Amino acid sequence: MEPTKRTKASPSRRTWLVLAAAALSGLALAQAPVAERGAEKPAKVSFSMLPSNHMLVRAMLNGKGPYRLIFDLGAPITLLSNHAAEESGTVKADAPRSFLFSMRGEAEVAEMRVGELIVKDLPVVVFDHPALKVLGEVLGQPVDGIIGFTFFARYKTTIDYQVDEMTFAPVDFEVRDLMKELPDRLAGPKTARRSVTAPGGLWGLRLGSPEGGLSSPGTPIAEVLAGSPAEAAGLKAGDVLTTIDGRWTTSPDDVHQAAAAVPPGRSVPVGLLRDGRERVVEVRPADGA
Amino acid sequence: MIRKLGCVGAVLGLVLALAAADAPKTDGKDEGIGQSTRVPYQLTETNHFLVRVRLNGKGPFNFLVDSGAPALYIGTEAAAAIGLEASKDDFWTPLKSLEIEGGARLENLKARVEDPFQLVGMNALGLPGASIDGILGFTILARFRLEIDPTDDRMTWTRLDFKPADPPVPSKEDRERAPLEFQLMNALGPVAKGLALFIGKQPAEERSPRGFLGLEWTEPEAGGLEIVRALPGSPADRAGAKPGDRLKRINDEAVKDAETARAALAEVRPGDSVELTVENKSGESRTLTFSAGEGL
Repeated sequence: MEPTKRTKASPSRRTWLVLAAAALSGLALAQAPVAERGAEKPAKVSFSMLPSNHMLVRAMLNGKGPYRLIFDLGAPITLLSNHAAEESGTVKADAPRSFLFSMRGEAEVAEMRVGELIVKDLPVVVFDHPALKVLGEVLGQPVDGIIGFTFFARYKTTIDYQVDEMTFAPVDFEVRDLMKELPDRLAGPKTARRSVTAPGGLWGLRLGSPEGGLSSPGTPIAEVLAGSPAEAAGLKAGDVLTTIDGRWTTSPDDVHQAAAAVPPGRSVPVGLLRDGRERVVEVRPADGA
Repeated sequence: MIRKLGCVGAVLGLVLALAAADAPKTDGKDEGIGQSTRVPYQLTETNHFLVRVRLNGKGPFNFLVDSGAPALYIGTEAAAAIGLEASKDDFWTPLKSLEIEGGARLENLKARVEDPFQLVGMNALGLPGASIDGILGFTILARFRLEIDPTDDRMTWTRLDFKPADPPVPSKEDRERAPLEFQLMNALGPVAKGLALFIGKQPAEERSPRGFLGLEWTEPEAGGLEIVRALPGSPADRAGAKPGDRLKRINDEAVKDAETARAALAEVRPGDSVELTVENKSGESRTLTFSAGEGL
């Protein structure tokens, strides 16, 4: 795949709109990564735990560093401080800053080395996050950024806190480009998107309404049709569906979402409550609708 | 410097505390240790990982998987909905049980009842596409070996024999004297709520189940799609679909196989009109028109 060309550190008005909105909403932005196929093998990266319970890794950026970065599954972006971004040549020292957190906008790190892993063309957002500044002051050593979703969306990530080690195996995954979608969504009409959830196969069930609000264990079955896969599995009207293939079925929408993931002909465990007792039956939906 | 520690809250998932944490203790008696569970998750519009949980047996609630947060955070709305009162004297509020969709269950936990500002902001604008009710941070996540593959619709969580220490509790004074940056950041949640009044909230997606026909079909070797049965009492049965009928068209779309049939039905909702063109073994063609029902 041809790598996406991106103008480095030259934020447009559109970018500022997005960044400002993002800062206000507390969300940060993900950009489409450049997929690298087959270039990397599963790689080990050790981390250390900061006293603040954060995972810290040391990374070389464009051959400079190491920089101290926090690995954060809850961060939708990868973020670099102005200092680290300038020193590593990710942004030019004279790139414009915004009034808010000295934002520099989007940029790309040509090469990040962390543990055994080499990452190419990693999209980052450059700004000085106050939390990182304070964390660095408290620790007595700077924290130079946060590794977020744009990084780990490229890998099957395994985190083992007991041995302080992560492994990364490359996967082929397209990251949604929020930079393109978000301004249009914020500015666009506020109409709800509509979607239809189709079950993978034919079950032969009609659902009732869950009772008990937040304490409801699941969705009751109103009717089981004769000759159906549901009947063959022993399901009965009045049974309360609690799980389908390990997914909770607390609402009819849940049931449909879970059934959508079950193709016809595949047998899955279905958890149910009958007369107050829990049971598990196997249901194999037929091909049909 | 230490004064700055406690006040940070969950800003961008970061809470600071430098007081020495107790050495992690292992209780080693938990039955779940070593067990793997497959955890369904949703990737939000904002590229956050959400999993569903039940708190004290009630729910489900959407929680963010966030290794950048130090503890378990329960939003005030979710806490109110389950009747969990935030502890007045203690920084932590005890939680009897936390069940994670997929099967993992933790008991006797400490939670912080609080609204981290970024959740307030995102929820106010409706940006994630689903409301976020709380955060699973380090004290929960570190009990598991986490495998996360964005190309798989579930994560794998394996219980470790490891019970992480609670993060140190900031003093009341520290919490009240936040550095200016954080007072500003924490003010942004309400600002986003105000902003939502002007630019509007992104409405939640309207999800409908597909309409129900009650047809079982098969793909014969000669090609096409043949009806095996119409479940008794189903909409297709009442409209007169018979075993052995060949399904030729659905709503003006030609049916070549099961895949094209599913595609033709993909947007059909309960109550929508469905027109099936079928051909019996004698080659006689009929058109069956009926309303799709509810069910699956």
